[in-house]
Amino acid sequence: MSSSFRSDVGTDPCDSVGDDRWWMASASDRGSSRGEIDGLLQGAGYRVRSTDLRHVAIGLEQLESAMVGDQCAASSAEAVVHYNPSDLTAWVDSMLSGLAPDPNLLRHPQSTATANAWADPTRQRPSSLHRLENHQQHRNVPAVSLQSMEEEEDAAIRLVHLLVSCADSVQRGDSEMAGSLLDQARLALARVNTGFGIGKVAGYFVDALCRRLYPPPLCGGGSAANPEILYHHFYEACPYIKFAHFTANQAILEAFQGHDRVHVVDFNLMHGLQWPALIQALALRPGGPPLLRLTGIGPPSPDGRDALREVGLRLAELARSVQVRFAFRGVAATRLEHVRPWMFQVAPGEAVAVNTVLQLHRLLGDRASPEGGDAAAAEPIDTVLAWVVGLKPKIVTVVEQEADHNKPSFLDRFTEALFYYSTMFDSLEGGSHRSGGHQTQQQQTVVAAVAEAYLQREMCNVVCCEGAARVERHEPLARWRDRLGRAGLRAVHLGSNAFKQASMLLTLFSGEGYCVEEVDGCLTLGWHSRPLISASAWRADDDASPPRDHQTLLVLQDHSSSVVDGDDHLQPAA
Amino acid sequence: MLTREEGEEEQEEEEEAKGRRRAFSINDNVDLLAEILGRLDGRSLAVAGCVCRLWNALGRRDSVWEAVCHRHVAGGGSSAAGGGCSTRSVVAALGGYRRLYRLCIGPALDRLAGSAGGRGSTTTTAAAAAAHHLSLSLSLSLFSIDCYERLGGRQQPPASLLFLCKPVDVS
Repeated sequence: MSSSFRSDVGTDPCDSVGDDRWWMASASDRGSSRGEIDGLLQGAGYRVRSTDLRHVAIGLEQLESAMVGDQCAASSAEAVVHYNPSDLTAWVDSMLSGLAPDPNLLRHPQSTATANAWADPTRQRPSSLHRLENHQQHRNVPAVSLQSMEEEEDAAIRLVHLLVSCADSVQRGDSEMAGSLLDQARLALARVNTGFGIGKVAGYFVDALCRRLYPPPLCGGGSAANPEILYHHFYEACPYIKFAHFTANQAILEAFQGHDRVHVVDFNLMHGLQWPALIQALALRPGGPPLLRLTGIGPPSPDGRDALREVGLRLAELARSVQVRFAFRGVAATRLEHVRPWMFQVAPGEAVAVNTVLQLHRLLGDRASPEGGDAAAAEPIDTVLAWVVGLKPKIVTVVEQEADHNKPSFLDRFTEALFYYSTMFDSLEGGSHRSGGHQTQQQQTVVAAVAEAYLQREMCNVVCCEGAARVERHEPLARWRDRLGRAGLRAVHLGSNAFKQASMLLTLFSGEGYCVEEVDGCLTLGWHSRPLISASAWRADDDASPPRDHQTLLVLQDHSSSVVDGDDHLQPAA
Repeated sequence: MLTREEGEEEQEEEEEAKGRRRAFSINDNVDLLAEILGRLDGRSLAVAGCVCRLWNALGRRDSVWEAVCHRHVAGGGSSAAGGGCSTRSVVAALGGYRRLYRLCIGPALDRLAGSAGGRGSTTTTAAAAAAHHLSLSLSLSLFSIDCYERLGGRQQPPASLLFLCKPVDVS
């Protein structure tokens, strides 16, 4: 049966009968009969005889190179009628006969090399790397006009493959192998355009792996760049943080309806860019603005100046101009778990909102088991969530990266990070194809470059650091739902207003590529249907059992309320 | 004889007065002019400000731009008296309607019109805005962020609205 198909393909002098006989011989060695349907493909819905596998494989590869390399071939293929695609052998042959028969494709002398690679599973192949190299050799000849692009694609695929293999060796502890793979990866980088796309991302990952294998003498990899500046440029270059802020503000605004005294706790104040919009919206709400208190948590400033207070002063000035009564308090803490609720001095009768944008994941620890055992040692996240619930907030807005970068296995984390950050970098590039005036063009390139540095720093932390140094422990929304639910918080649906606002924001921002989706009351923003960031809102469950130190909290609140009564003034509190 | 001359003079005066009434000048009716200019779109209003000093002064009146903003934005159509007052004071505090249009609403409308198929006429700009429901609240939020960035005198120029810069057409 296979000989009749061979005639369709064309007489290939190298495709000697000897190969055929050898193939059938090895098949019978494995004990399969001549006409047996291949079990694995049958599971996928295709009926292919195991003796025809080699032929089908060659045909598929020729089909692929023909369709990729020749546009008109694809259109002419539409005129051919194909029957029963589950009969893969006949389908491949009819497709090939439908395309313009290209002598280069059909009688390829090197196809046997690849075919031999597939035909013999018993021959020793050290790694799939070599198969990829054979594949690359085969691709070199046809479709001359697109040769360089295909080469580059293959080089990129090879590079990715090298990176993953290197990560695998790192996980196994084989640092020699990892080092040699890394050198190969560096060589492969030279053949790929590192200005954009997969080349650029791969370059960053090669650097990160290098840093992991050979840690630099200065530990921590702390660059001189101010994290606030990096964050600000990331804010400007792409819509993720804006989306987070606007969605959170919408939820907070709706939760504050009807309350006269409101208190917002921001887990990471930075430049306070989220709050002008909230202040303005509160100023315009029907019924007049409430008394707004803002508590901003942030790292202590290195050079002695009080950065938190400066931000607070600016916000107060804005609030004063739109006539919103405003009070600010700054809490400086190096790590979030050092913060205690008494520092906020929540007054009784205040509506509290807790806002965390990309902060909660820093409190996670190593995942003990694949299922995430919940009876593990008390992680900082549990302590923090306990006192958050103890504040009885009207709304808790949580914005987190939509990725699983906290898996116990390094290889899994690495592969996840590779896909996640390449999508992120793609979106940065896709968004930066807007042209502006002369200066703004330069400004925009600078902004985009610094935003990339922000992402690179995040990515380096995922790849290079372990233990307490690894703070970028992203987890997907489903896990956060479980965790927050266990802590006593109930989900609040974000509503259509938030969705409409987010969609409008994206249309303004650049339009193409970004997509907002609603998942069970939470909004996610992604690039080309891959969600990258998620925003959700929660409230304290009224029936939740109070946390252990609830009694202490009550005492502290009584204590602080006396302070607040006398202290209720309008200028910002230091 | 005297009465006839007086009558003729009166008749002439009446005719002159009638002539003056017929030669109506819009520049004598500033409020009417403001009402009319407030129905233009932003670009036309800015161009109108180049006609003469009076029109320039009117083109700087925030109330005229307020009408323009409300006309081009969903959710700001007919503002109730109370709501209108507080919005006015907030917008004035943040920099005024003219600035709001120049920095936020104008570029946003251009962006929306561009994404709606590149039709450049002004009527379709308004239609595009209505179709996309550009909300006043979103524009105000962006405006407030920009205003906040200008406070405090930072070294870098405020850039949060950079993403709204319309592309330069060099065709």
